[in-house]
Amino acid sequence: MQRDQQKDPYIVNRYVSLAIKNLRRRPVRTALTVAGVALAVTVAVSLGGFMLGYRSAIDRSINMLGFQVMIMAKGCPYEAATMMLKGGTGLLYLPGDTYERVKSDPDIESITPIFVGVAQKQGSSIRDEGSANTFSVISGIDVPSYRVMKPWLAFKNGPGYSGGRWFSSERKDEVVIGYEAAEYEQRKVGDTFYASITPAGKPDPVLHQFKVVGVLERTGTQDDGTIFMPIEVAREYFNRPNQLTILGIKLKQFTSFKMREFETRWLKLPEVQVVGLQQVKNTLVNLVATAQTMIAAVAAIAVIVALIGVINTILMSVYERTPEIGIMKALGARRGSIFELIWLETLMICVIGAALGSLMAVIGSGLVERAIKAMADLGVSGSIVRITPAVVGYAVFGAVVLGFFGGLYPAWRAASMRPVEAISKGI
Amino acid sequence: MQDAIIEAHGLKRYYHRGSETVKALDGVDISIRPGEIVSILGPSGSGKTTLINILSCLDAPTEGTLIVAGKSVAGLSEDELVEVRRGVLGFVFQQFSLLPTLTVAENVELPLMFLGMRVNPQRTAEVLEMVGLTERAKHLPRELSGGQMQRVAIARALIMDPKILVADEPTGNLDRKTGESIINLFKHLAAEKGLAILVTTHNLAFGYEVDRAITLEDGRIVNEEDLRRSRESSGRRTEAAEQVAPLN
Repeated sequence: MQRDQQKDPYIVNRYVSLAIKNLRRRPVRTALTVAGVALAVTVAVSLGGFMLGYRSAIDRSINMLGFQVMIMAKGCPYEAATMMLKGGTGLLYLPGDTYERVKSDPDIESITPIFVGVAQKQGSSIRDEGSANTFSVISGIDVPSYRVMKPWLAFKNGPGYSGGRWFSSERKDEVVIGYEAAEYEQRKVGDTFYASITPAGKPDPVLHQFKVVGVLERTGTQDDGTIFMPIEVAREYFNRPNQLTILGIKLKQFTSFKMREFETRWLKLPEVQVVGLQQVKNTLVNLVATAQTMIAAVAAIAVIVALIGVINTILMSVYERTPEIGIMKALGARRGSIFELIWLETLMICVIGAALGSLMAVIGSGLVERAIKAMADLGVSGSIVRITPAVVGYAVFGAVVLGFFGGLYPAWRAASMRPVEAISKGI
Repeated sequence: MQDAIIEAHGLKRYYHRGSETVKALDGVDISIRPGEIVSILGPSGSGKTTLINILSCLDAPTEGTLIVAGKSVAGLSEDELVEVRRGVLGFVFQQFSLLPTLTVAENVELPLMFLGMRVNPQRTAEVLEMVGLTERAKHLPRELSGGQMQRVAIARALIMDPKILVADEPTGNLDRKTGESIINLFKHLAAEKGLAILVTTHNLAFGYEVDRAITLEDGRIVNEEDLRRSRESSGRRTEAAEQVAPLN
């Protein structure tokens, strides 16, 4: 007899198969509901990827700075942060003796003075696309101490690049170019680079001709877009003798306590701010926190709308299939069986939507990154959207949890139907 | 005589519609034996469907006792009623109620899923053969005629090897010829499998082709005819008349 048959170990597969067939009965409605979930998940994954990627980009950029603390002229902390990572244009300068005073601090392991200036490119670029692109960031550095801070700096090799070297401090016409600046300007070792520099206090720029003596390998930091020259030469061209933009510092012990001590010690200098890495990081994170909160709110709304869509779809499906559910109960389905079936349908919509949404987010991450970068200067180099398996995993898990809860009401409603009443709805 | 598979006494089913109490069933006594086909006749609103719903454990009586397959079902919860229905009762409805996305074979096998049982293709083929649909096993319901869909519904009811088949207006959506074929199938199942068949119908021709016809009016049994006995005695009279005739 049939009742004596063995239990089916693959019964779940049969429920899944039936749930899929039920969802396929209204393909357009199911597809639209899945699309709603997918869209919400795409937004959520992209946002998660951006949050993760942006923090990683900040960490990466900060780590690649080489120093943990910088001393700079008092000003807007946002600008300080941006300048530290990207090079700024609203430059303020420290008196040159600040270097002499600070470098003797017993907690300092290494220190490097940096002078930053902005030059105009004079017809040197073959891709001169207008005034927005005609500025170059010039960094005047002290090569020995700068290399201590950034031991990973290396010269690019290959045809046209071999023989790269640092400039000699006595020469005033030698520059080293960062990777991206060289690519952009299409300059190689031995080429000429022109820049117009307006000396402080003078109305007109002075055109200078430089020889490129080295092109650096890519670092993923602002160094890639910088033109380097000796600090003394830069000061001279910008007519700012003994002035500094930044003092980059590496402490012997970088703890919050030591940092606070160091900060307290040097804040007594007039017109100076001591900025730590964590501070920079927080500043940059805060810079986009509002935008992130808004995006998160949009994502949350998208998720709620998608969830309402899912619940509505399943409720409509339950309503349409009321007589069928009654028949299933008459045929021996328990409340639990009906609950499982309807709940499974909800869950499947959410899982399929989450999978598609994650895929869309991964495929579209480049687009999202370009869009974000086009909208705002976030002060970091490199990739700012990082979609990891963990981010995708959280999104899928979140969708499953939503499906879990979203399916409860329709499933409960279907399971609670009395067979007699349900069957009579079809007559 | 075999023990009754369904035994009901004093069945009442009252509904409240506003301040009015509707007596859908008002004290019905009925018993059905294995292998017996019983039709429930009566005008619309007489209580046919209510009676069949209660006898098939889809609904509970307001009052009265009901024993199905030796088990008293009074006061059982919905899930307990499911347990009574499982394996004892098979259902056929006027609307066929097949799942449109499942093939004929999958529709027939559906009750097994709810019982967590493994599908036995041989058994599926067997019940499809019983209803004459072996060739249609892989077809979808939309590819079948009304009569074929009703046969699939019967096969679905038979897959669990029930003791009682409950059919609510099974020929209601079918033409006369197709309806007759369904009735003949019921007769065959009752005779061959010992299945008790309880059927409601408006079709008097079918209603009087069964073993027993019960007529309801206003929730009460107003007439009960043992048609088998009538047919047997009528047959005996004809036989006796045929035997006597030559003497005349």
